[in-house]
Amino acid sequence: MNLGTRKLLDRSFTSVGIGSIVIMALALMVVLVPIVTNGLGAVFFTGTVEHRKMLLSEFNRGDSRELETAIASSDRYRAKVYEMLSGFESEMAAMTPERQDEYRPKYGQVKTAVQALLGPLPGDPEPMLTRFKYGQTRWEKAEEKLHDLLYETKWDNSDPNAMSKEYFANRSESFAGTSLVKLFPYVRENMSNMLLPEFTVYWGFITDSSVDSHIFGGIWPEIQGTFFLAVGAMLFAFPLGVIAAVYFTEYAKSGFFNSMLRSANSTLAGVPSIVFGMFGLAFFINTLKVSESKSVIAGSLTLAIMILPTIIRAAEEAILAVPKTYREASLSLGSTKWNTIATVILPAALPGILTGGVISLGRAAGETAPIIFTAAVSVGSAIGLADVFSSPTPALSWNIYNLASEHEAAAQIRHVQYGMVLALVSIVLLLNLSAIVLRARISKKLKG
Amino acid sequence: MAEESCGEGNRTNTFVVSSRKRTIQKAVNRAGELLLLALASFVAVVVLFIFYFVARDAVPFFELRSFSEFFTTSEWYPADEPGKFGALSIIYGSLMVTLGSAMIAVPMGIAAAICLSDILPFSIRQYAKPVIEMLAAIPSVAFGFFALVVFAPLLQDKGGALLMWAWWILAAPFTVLFVIVLSDLLTTRIKDPARRKQLNLLSVLLFGLLSAGLLYRVGTLLHAIEILTGTNALNVSIILSFMALPTIVSVSEDALQAVGRDIREGSYALGATRAETIVKTILPAASSGILAAVILGIMRSLGETMVVWMASGNSAHIPEPWFNYLEAIRTLTATIAGDMGEADQVTGSARYHVLFAMGLLLLVISFICNLVSERIVVRQRRILSGQ
Amino acid sequence: MLMTDDVTVTSPDVPAQKSTREIYLPPARKKITGGGTPHIVAKEFSIYYGEFEAVKKVSADILSKYVTAIIGPSGCGKSTFLRSINRMNDLIPNSHTTGSIFFDGADIYGRYTDEVLLRKKVGMVFQKPNPFPKSIFDNIAYGPRLHGVNDKKTLADIVERSLKKAALWSEVCDRLDKNALGLSGGQQQRLCVARTLAVEPEVLLLDEPTSALDPKATAKIEDLIQELRGSYTIMIVTHNMQQASRVSDYTMFFYEGMLVEHASTAQLFTNPRDSMTEDYITGRFS
Repeated sequence: MNLGTRKLLDRSFTSVGIGSIVIMALALMVVLVPIVTNGLGAVFFTGTVEHRKMLLSEFNRGDSRELETAIASSDRYRAKVYEMLSGFESEMAAMTPERQDEYRPKYGQVKTAVQALLGPLPGDPEPMLTRFKYGQTRWEKAEEKLHDLLYETKWDNSDPNAMSKEYFANRSESFAGTSLVKLFPYVRENMSNMLLPEFTVYWGFITDSSVDSHIFGGIWPEIQGTFFLAVGAMLFAFPLGVIAAVYFTEYAKSGFFNSMLRSANSTLAGVPSIVFGMFGLAFFINTLKVSESKSVIAGSLTLAIMILPTIIRAAEEAILAVPKTYREASLSLGSTKWNTIATVILPAALPGILTGGVISLGRAAGETAPIIFTAAVSVGSAIGLADVFSSPTPALSWNIYNLASEHEAAAQIRHVQYGMVLALVSIVLLLNLSAIVLRARISKKLKG
Repeated sequence: MAEESCGEGNRTNTFVVSSRKRTIQKAVNRAGELLLLALASFVAVVVLFIFYFVARDAVPFFELRSFSEFFTTSEWYPADEPGKFGALSIIYGSLMVTLGSAMIAVPMGIAAAICLSDILPFSIRQYAKPVIEMLAAIPSVAFGFFALVVFAPLLQDKGGALLMWAWWILAAPFTVLFVIVLSDLLTTRIKDPARRKQLNLLSVLLFGLLSAGLLYRVGTLLHAIEILTGTNALNVSIILSFMALPTIVSVSEDALQAVGRDIREGSYALGATRAETIVKTILPAASSGILAAVILGIMRSLGETMVVWMASGNSAHIPEPWFNYLEAIRTLTATIAGDMGEADQVTGSARYHVLFAMGLLLLVISFICNLVSERIVVRQRRILSGQ
Repeated sequence: MLMTDDVTVTSPDVPAQKSTREIYLPPARKKITGGGTPHIVAKEFSIYYGEFEAVKKVSADILSKYVTAIIGPSGCGKSTFLRSINRMNDLIPNSHTTGSIFFDGADIYGRYTDEVLLRKKVGMVFQKPNPFPKSIFDNIAYGPRLHGVNDKKTLADIVERSLKKAALWSEVCDRLDKNALGLSGGQQQRLCVARTLAVEPEVLLLDEPTSALDPKATAKIEDLIQELRGSYTIMIVTHNMQQASRVSDYTMFFYEGMLVEHASTAQLFTNPRDSMTEDYITGRFS
């Protein structure tokens, strides 16, 4: 090979390496950017008067007098819509039965669309589910609903070989010649008068509990549940992990038994997370019966087992990084081994141990699989501290799955899902960031 | 030894204590050490318990049903009466996404590890490391949510175009390189420099045209592909590969760092380029450590639950043809997660126990992988220390 | 410019009163033919690590086919200077150079110099033996393979020739396929020499090649240097002054990055011009 080719290969080799790191960074961006931008939309958005109504009646928050004037002004514009609807109803009553049959389903669709947009019509019975008590609370959703009102979604099946294609048909055309035709342009033009959008900062998303399984309200029960589970896991795993690490580093001699212990540790680190969940179910709940069924304590114990190897490894590394001279100095001053460990080695290793602990805390907060069978429920209110031994809890990680995959209105509450993902990711990343900062501090300190 | 007595004149040496006191002291220390040992052994106890309790609930399945049904049939209808518990398609699905993610993550991970250990200057490495740590820290459910809500629709709507672009971006540079190297190798024996240059140019042109045509043809073929569902094996493989990457990168980087600086210098001093040094000396020397990294990364993909549960489509069948990554599949972990909710109402049924059989399978695979990778790391350390 | 005929001095007149200088015991040496022209020429050459100037404005002529030793206290920049001759310092981030070093008349740090081709001509053996974790044969064949020799027979010839030159052939000829890490330290170091010789360099840089070896192995390496003297331009960094006086024709004394004195070994060890050199070789500081 001539030198030029060798150099070319060298350069391409370098660029492959750099390229793969760039791809990793890009992947991180691609994942994080939509989560952050859409997640912030759960707190910062353009809210409608319906949102304010909901806040007042569900959470008793907001200025009721101001809201009343807003409602009065929006009702003035809405009244015309209701008028047009009842006008068409009476017009329809006067039609021949065939034409009535033709218009009734179409009119039903229009009525549902108006209900979705503006909330229950005057004279409707009080809805059972909270989600039907209000119109659209978010402006961008209202615009989607407006589209549903103006256009009918149809499928084009004309070509039998291709997949059917979606297209939109103007609804006003199907009501041509009736009084309802006027409704569509009216609603389109007076949307903002009827819904009074304004920029809203809804901090309650973090501190409120949810209403009607996350259609409205916030994610406090999930945040609290995640907190309980992760902290509970740390309470078990941290002391145990540090003690085990002390044993491994200070006492264990290289023998068969100790190498078995080490193997056990790395085996535990490699167990798939879902298997921890099964073990938690089979052992903590079905065998030990720490609780009747799922509970925070069972989930915490399961998570504790999962993060134990990480804590042990981090603590071991931190203890090994303590300079030998510290140990020797302490021993030479007449300190016992116990004393040396407790007063010299552990304090010196503490920042490193804490770094491992913080990262494990993040891992415990973010894991889903171990708590599916042991602690998590889909819907629930925040539980008290006394209930951790008996009752399950909603948790961010589980509810992200649940809302995105199993919720009956999953596509309607994307903003809640994104908000939850952002909350979870920021908790975990903040914990990791603090660990990184902590570690940088330590290495600076060790370098002097 | 001249001791200055401080009141306790009856003892000459203050460090000599009575034998009783010494015995007690020793016993206390010993007891403390044993207590520590007991607490440290907790890890081993937990591992044994995990095996025991998962196996305990898995064995009844094989008593109720049979090994052959589980491993050789692929009809998965657990809710039927009587249920069918053929897990072959599910095991296959697990293997498929694991392999798929490994195909992406292994080359990328090793390249990135080399880059971190040998290529990037320290100032840039400082920023690359947190990227990898963050990638490792993002919870799996967040990746799953991304796969389901962002990536799957994208793949479904623009799949063909995405595939084509990925093909062009990945294949084009490698093809150019391949053509140049090939031409160089073909003409390397020709002695006359002018003639060699001519022939080299000719060969570059010839092969260049040929491969450009091939690239374009495959590109258009890929562009024409219509992806029916975005929640498929490809989606999951890509996302899983990014979750396995941090493990592969950090463990391989450790292995590469373990190959000493002096060996690198030895190679450079003989006139090797950086790529040659890495490929011919460092990679072979670190190969077993890198293999361990790959095994650990694969284990991460195999054991991952949330991403596959949310974005694999959860359809228990072997794709047609068997390598079709654009079809929905179902994996062991997702099956356990998804079916346990219905099954644990009826503990004792085959439907409950079959999930533990799957768990046991996962556990055994991960245990074996772990043992193997541990062995490998030990062996590498021994080889590098020259024994 | 040094005079080449200094080298042939075999019995320098040692002033009787300065007994401390009697470390210079020149061995019997073979005559060198065809050497003695300036092979490597440093001009005002400096190398910086960040702000720190590790080698300060060194100017020197290294003569071809002779052995030049570099001595000086640790941290004086002697290794750094040696490593800059085949641009090994390129691998250290944050380093840059000023001035120039000419090799065969071309600037090593010139814009069009290819460090890969340079290193092929200027071989290097390191402080610690660093064989690759491969077989003995593959270790020696590594360089030739890089530079395009793939024929098995040719490779076998090169391996045999190189090992013979490095006086290792008789010890390893029956186990060429064994891992090189199984050799003893001294054998490993001679293997590294053989590995370097296999790419047929013109210059051999030895960076404290015996510091990790026991006296017996050290003697073998020194014998080897004597064997190679006259065929290659050899530069050896050593902290052992006896070794410098035993193996070298010329000696350079470095102190705090500066080249203090550069003279024939006979002269430098018996009649140093600089008082600092004298202090160093008489052991007043190290």
